[in-house]
Amino acid sequence: MTDLGLTPFLTLSAFLFACGILCFAAKRNAIGILMGVELVLNAANINFVACARFVPSLRLEGQVFAVLVIVLAAAEAAVALAIFLNFYNNHATVDVDEGTELKG
Amino acid sequence: MLDLFRDSPGRLFVAATLLPLVPVVLLVLSGTARNLARPHGRSGGWASSIYWLLGGDHSLKTGGYLTLAAMLGSAVLAVAGLTQYFADAHDPGLSPAQIEARWTERTDWVRIGADRTDHPATALQLGYRIDRLTALLFTMVTVVGSLIFLFSLGYMADEASDQVTDHEVHTDGGHLHRRGRFGRFFLYLGLFAFSMLNLLIADNLFQVFVGWELVGVCSFFLIGFYTERPSASAAANKAFIVNRIGDAGFLIGIAIAFSVFGTLNIQELIARTPADGSTPTGISENLWLAMGLGLFLGCVGKSAQFPLHTWLPDAMEGPTPVSALIHAATMVAAGVYLVGRCFPLFAPDVLLVIAYVGAITLFLAATIATVQNDIKRVLAYSTVSQLGYMMLALGVGGWTAGLFHLLTHAFFKALLFLGAGSVILGLHHEQDLSRMGGLRRKMPVTAYTMLVGVLAISGVPFLSGWYSKDMILADALGFGAAHPRHVLLTVLPILTAGLTAFYMFRLWFLAFAGQPRDRHAYDRAHESPWAMTLPLVVLAAFSLAAGWGWPVWDATASYLGHLLHDGEPAAVAARFGSELAAAHEHHLLAGGLGLLMAAIGLAFAAFMYVARDPTIALEADTPLITLLRHKWYFDEAYDAAFVRPTVALAAAAAATDKRPTASVTDDTEGRRIDPGTLDGALTAVGQLSARLGAWLRTLQTGLVRQYVLVLALTVVVLLGMLTALTRNN
Repeated sequence: MTDLGLTPFLTLSAFLFACGILCFAAKRNAIGILMGVELVLNAANINFVACARFVPSLRLEGQVFAVLVIVLAAAEAAVALAIFLNFYNNHATVDVDEGTELKG
Repeated sequence: MLDLFRDSPGRLFVAATLLPLVPVVLLVLSGTARNLARPHGRSGGWASSIYWLLGGDHSLKTGGYLTLAAMLGSAVLAVAGLTQYFADAHDPGLSPAQIEARWTERTDWVRIGADRTDHPATALQLGYRIDRLTALLFTMVTVVGSLIFLFSLGYMADEASDQVTDHEVHTDGGHLHRRGRFGRFFLYLGLFAFSMLNLLIADNLFQVFVGWELVGVCSFFLIGFYTERPSASAAANKAFIVNRIGDAGFLIGIAIAFSVFGTLNIQELIARTPADGSTPTGISENLWLAMGLGLFLGCVGKSAQFPLHTWLPDAMEGPTPVSALIHAATMVAAGVYLVGRCFPLFAPDVLLVIAYVGAITLFLAATIATVQNDIKRVLAYSTVSQLGYMMLALGVGGWTAGLFHLLTHAFFKALLFLGAGSVILGLHHEQDLSRMGGLRRKMPVTAYTMLVGVLAISGVPFLSGWYSKDMILADALGFGAAHPRHVLLTVLPILTAGLTAFYMFRLWFLAFAGQPRDRHAYDRAHESPWAMTLPLVVLAAFSLAAGWGWPVWDATASYLGHLLHDGEPAAVAARFGSELAAAHEHHLLAGGLGLLMAAIGLAFAAFMYVARDPTIALEADTPLITLLRHKWYFDEAYDAAFVRPTVALAAAAAATDKRPTASVTDDTEGRRIDPGTLDGALTAVGQLSARLGAWLRTLQTGLVRQYVLVLALTVVVLLGMLTALTRNN
């Protein structure tokens, strides 16, 4: 595994990031959007850990950041769920296309 | 209080000038109070009592009496001032400088700039300066004015009722009925009197200009007195606008004088010009000519000379006392007066122009007067012609002659106009000569006083007109003898003397001699009340005697002429010494020619209008008569050359602001963009902003997913930029 190099991991991370963006941009379901967010965050995590492994000066920082990101992802998921709960209370659905009050 | 006047007796004239303002103020205040109280007229209370105190539904005549009293007061003060002036002038103990100091005063009114070390700040000044010319003219204006005010009390009597019928204005259902405007007439007359007198005593061009414009405004009000008549309003506009054209020239002259010489005081300006009329130091020759021509252009407008003569005949739309006062004796005299006062300021070329303008005017107007049928129009053209005589005299060096004629003309022309007013009123507002005839039996006082006036204007010996006209013809002949190139300046006045006699006697014969042509009007005719005939008699006496001297049969021996001659500026003798000497030599020849022409004119008039049936001459219709009846087509020419292009330009300018006609609503939102009109172009700016905003609004869809996508794409783009910018390290 050590002789794979950094690039494949960065590619994987980028691919996962793209999937995550696609997911949370294209999904109508609010929970689906949250899943996309999780994918993006995890892609970032892979990026951090891969850089920690293959860049000698960042041996510890990357892993610490990954743990931080996991914690933040959890907190952010809680807050997002609270928002979507409120959204459901107002619109009786989790379809985000129903939320057009900001239409100019 | 009397010691106010002891050291500066010129203040008598100032007091006489301000006196007519008192009834003006009173009339304005009382008229305002009455109009404000009018709605409460019938409801009782103090507003109602004010209303009925001030006359109620019809004007009180008190305003007229007050104005007459003020004018009489001015006349008394003027006569006192005149006698005091001539006492001073013949007092051996007073030097000319002392006399000057006693009869002049001035004060700064508006200071322009700051005081400098070597001279005080330039300023617009107010002041007066009395000399012989001023004193005589002032007295004439106040005396003639008083007589005309007295006449007006009788003439305008039917304005003092609450229901006046105007027979020349037709509304649906007959003639117009309106409230009487007696007080307003005397208000305007009083204001006019003040303005004219202010003009006369002014010692600087600024004050002259103020008076100039004020008399023009009063003339506008008085000509358009019958405001409901479109012809009167148009005539008032025409008078004011044509006068304004002249005033533009006057302003140019004033501006040149002020900028080059730094002063507008007439005496100071005269002191800077050399006696022989060459260009003074410090000014270019062209600018000097321009200044003189500018000042003269103002006089052309005010005194109705060619080419600005078209307003005076139309000004006959005003009531007859107005025509007598303003357009015969006083306002039109202001132009001649100014030329006389500022005589040294005119270069010799400018004086030649003045002479030619006068000569053309006198001939032109006399030819037109020979075929006019409206009694007032004949007199109007006669006034224009006689003013031409005065300008001609001034232009050829006959300073005394021109101003003497101004004085005598005021008397007999006012007499003729008031007589015409008496005829008009006696015939119940009939002005057409072709419908008069034989009136001497019904209106003897009017007829015979007007005969005196006609004799005076024709230059019949021993009446006042003879002395002044004789002097003018002699001066013209003298000038012609000294300058054979300008023979027209001699021939035209002599020829026109014949025309003058012809049309004036034509007027008298048609109105008073022969048989009545309109039996109905003749039967209703009656002589006017004493308030109107007394001024006629007094003016006839003046027309008879004003020129007398001793011996009476010597044309050069006139007392008034000598008084004026003593006041002649030195420049006249310096510039025209030889011409005036030649005039004196050929005096008898000129007089003889003038009398001969007058006799020929009288003979023709008698033949055409007494010896044979006047209707033959009245109904004659040759091309020449048509040309003359249409006043040489001046009005049509001016209309085509100036009025129509201006109206077309105005219409084109207005078209840029007119609304587009198709698919227009008042609502800006729904209107189409129309950059073609001014309104459309300005609205288009707002409309375009609104449309831009509406388009931008469509970006706000409210869809969360779209916002998220935009966010994400932005992040990607930013990352890309960051990578690209940090790549080359």
